[in-house]
Amino acid sequence: MHTSNSLLRALKAMAIMVIMACMTALPQPVRAQGVNLQQLVRQVEEQYNGDSSHITATMHIVTRQWERSITLEGWSLGRELCLTRILEPAKEKGVSTLKADKQVWNYLPKVDRVIKIPPSMMGAPWMGSHITNEDLVKSSHVDLDYALTLEEETADFWRIACTPKTDAAVVWGRIVYTILKDHTIPRDIAYYDDAMVKVRTIRFEDVQHVGDHVLPLRMIVQPSEMPDEQTILQYRTITFDLPLEESFFSLRTLKGK
Amino acid sequence: MLLQLAYRNILRNKRRSLLTVSAMVFSSSMLLLALGVSAGKMGDMLASATEQYHGHLVLSRTGYQPQRDMYAHFAPEDGMIRRILEHPGVRGVSPRLRAFGLLSQDTSTIPVEALGIRPEAEATVTTLQQCIVRGAGFDSSGNGCLLGTGMARKLNVAPGDAIAFVTRGADGSIGNDLLTVKGIFETGNTRNDNQLVLTELPWLQQVTALDSQIHELAIAVRAPMQAAGLARQMRDDFGNDYTLQDWSVFLPEIRDAIIISHVSNSIIMAIFYMATALCIFNTFYMSVMERTREFGVLLALGMRPGQLRAMVLCETLLLGGTAVLAGMALGFCMNWYMQDIGVDLSGHVSPISYGGGTILPRVRAVIEPVRQTGAALMLLLVCPVAGFVPANMAARCVPIKALRGE
Amino acid sequence: MTLIELNNITKRYMSGNQSVTAIAGLDLAVRTGEFVVLAGPSGSGKTSVLNLIGGLDRPSSGTMTVAGCQTDMATDRELADFRLNMVGFIFQSYNLIPVLTAAENAEFVLQLQGIPAPIRHARVTELFAELGMEGLQNRRPGDLSGGQQQRVAIIRAIASEPALVLADEATANLDSKSSTDLLEMMRYLNETKGTTFVFSSHDPLVIEQARRVVTLHDGRMVSDTGSRA
Repeated sequence: MHTSNSLLRALKAMAIMVIMACMTALPQPVRAQGVNLQQLVRQVEEQYNGDSSHITATMHIVTRQWERSITLEGWSLGRELCLTRILEPAKEKGVSTLKADKQVWNYLPKVDRVIKIPPSMMGAPWMGSHITNEDLVKSSHVDLDYALTLEEETADFWRIACTPKTDAAVVWGRIVYTILKDHTIPRDIAYYDDAMVKVRTIRFEDVQHVGDHVLPLRMIVQPSEMPDEQTILQYRTITFDLPLEESFFSLRTLKGK
Repeated sequence: MLLQLAYRNILRNKRRSLLTVSAMVFSSSMLLLALGVSAGKMGDMLASATEQYHGHLVLSRTGYQPQRDMYAHFAPEDGMIRRILEHPGVRGVSPRLRAFGLLSQDTSTIPVEALGIRPEAEATVTTLQQCIVRGAGFDSSGNGCLLGTGMARKLNVAPGDAIAFVTRGADGSIGNDLLTVKGIFETGNTRNDNQLVLTELPWLQQVTALDSQIHELAIAVRAPMQAAGLARQMRDDFGNDYTLQDWSVFLPEIRDAIIISHVSNSIIMAIFYMATALCIFNTFYMSVMERTREFGVLLALGMRPGQLRAMVLCETLLLGGTAVLAGMALGFCMNWYMQDIGVDLSGHVSPISYGGGTILPRVRAVIEPVRQTGAALMLLLVCPVAGFVPANMAARCVPIKALRGE
Repeated sequence: MTLIELNNITKRYMSGNQSVTAIAGLDLAVRTGEFVVLAGPSGSGKTSVLNLIGGLDRPSSGTMTVAGCQTDMATDRELADFRLNMVGFIFQSYNLIPVLTAAENAEFVLQLQGIPAPIRHARVTELFAELGMEGLQNRRPGDLSGGQQQRVAIIRAIASEPALVLADEATANLDSKSSTDLLEMMRYLNETKGTTFVFSSHDPLVIEQARRVVTLHDGRMVSDTGSRA
């Protein structure tokens, strides 16, 4: 218990890097008359998932004990492949994370080693954490693993509740999306555990035009049990549709060679 | 006079007295042996649990246990360790820093608990460094580590190999560095053998960005079974910022096992006392019945009923006392033998991990003079209690009836 | 001086469901220094009278005083002390304590009285010599003849110099030679030390020796010779 908790905490920074990288995508504004909920959620989940992308971002993490900023860059291809690399601070420069085929590897330049996150670390829930390892692998599949219902619709937004399908191996007990009708961009996503207790909220802010897309460039992960802690992701640059090959997302690239 | 009469009366029916005494000698010595072996088993188990990992007492910042919050660290003040070591009940003190992280070699990565220690201090508290089966101990390289056989197998590493350790630093950074395997230990305890890695304290302090900080002082005491009492004595020295806990907090299963063993020992003792009481009762009931007429004479001659009762009680005490002394002598001899030599069962049985401790495949006794002598001396109480009914029968003889042998 | 005074004493006891009257309205007075034999057939109440006098039993009715003690009113404890200090018993079957030597048996009452060992030894040794029992002090009762055992019993009874010695069929288990010796010894003690003796016996030899014979029948006194010279 201690081990997995602390380990998850240790992976926190990397995990957030990865999820952020996975959220770079192409927005597809849809204003259908009859609302297709699955498509709406998928659009939100994939709004950062173009065919491929490259981002740079700053992640600001506040915990009770410390506060720090990390600058990183990331690449993604489709839903399944992404790679991030820390640029700053100097101590962690080059620390990289590769997500491919639902597995996660870390590269640590200081010791020149690739570490594969073991299965026991993947599915463990992270009490009071911003994020779980599972997020790295499954977060972009909410549209498939959950049953969706339209809870509320106003002139401005849709509120969509997601409950796990019976046979789906998922982490959350319930996810609630609030999606702004204007440009179909998320306002916030609330995550609940099996006991329907809210665990965390992700808020989206700083909506900007990026090329011909409209995207929230700031994502704030707020753990519910720790109001004095949060993680803020601020996108600096986003470039879509790069000529990236699958072979780019390899351990070789991870090591920066 | 009563004593002389009692003594002569016991010798009067030598065969019966000898039978009673030998039954009591046999059972009381067996009782002592059973208590000794039980204490030995519990001692082994407690030693394996505390002396492989926890130590007997653990001093940490209040709030560190049980979640092991990495931020509840402290730098031991000047003289803190020395002060603890000066306590007469304390045998050793080891400062420790603990970090949870991943240990990785090639494609294998496993979650581990890293314990940063000073090898020479740790050796005064735990025996981990004596359990090395391959390689040597720590050397002067600074980044050496010791890990368990199970972990070595999973990582497929041998002494001399370099392995990567990654954890979260106290400043939020990703702490990572290479360790060189210096030795592989085997304790028989699955948790320690599979999850524990010992590193040098300064190395772990640097990786976790906790310079000169530690999480706990593990303390070894001279009388582990009395650790809780010692903890109560010492607690005031440290104030509310610190918590001093004894092993029973970390090893509730062992504590329960010891309590259960005490209870089962008590049951064994109760059965034994009961059997002894019946044995004595039977002997003296018979003896009193046979001597009714003689009691009549004694009463007629002017002996008081109370003196008669005292005489019979004296007889039970003399008989019981002799048996207890002989039984104690025999029992302690057997315990001494079992303490020094014991019976090795490792050819037939493998060690069993239970509740953080290990039950070793051997039968060994431990002499606990107070407890065991107490158990034997309880018999001296059992004797007059069991003899009370016959003694009272004697005292309540009506002289003229007794003289007629009624 | 009257040592024993029985006034209208009755003793009844239950035998099965039947109430048996052992003594029916007996009046008896014995003076210090008398040598009295209670005679009469078996079941005439001799032993019951001795038990009452000796403080082993209490009367059903009537009052009695023995050696200044009102034994009909006394507690068990008082009776025990009375027996210890006032009465010496000699039994038909000797009743020596088998685990003690002859000398220890003889000293037993003195020991109960708390007399210091040197005094005990001296007195008993003297008595052993007086009664011709020298050299037998360290034998256990089992190693003595009946007559020897009864002598030890007598020494035990008189060693503490009680006011009164009660002997219940003391000669019944002895041959006539031993009986005669024993009686002579008691006569001797009676005469030299003034010890009061009360016997129960139907042995003509004993009755012959007695200075006073009280004959009982069915719990009643049928004759009393009074003290003869």
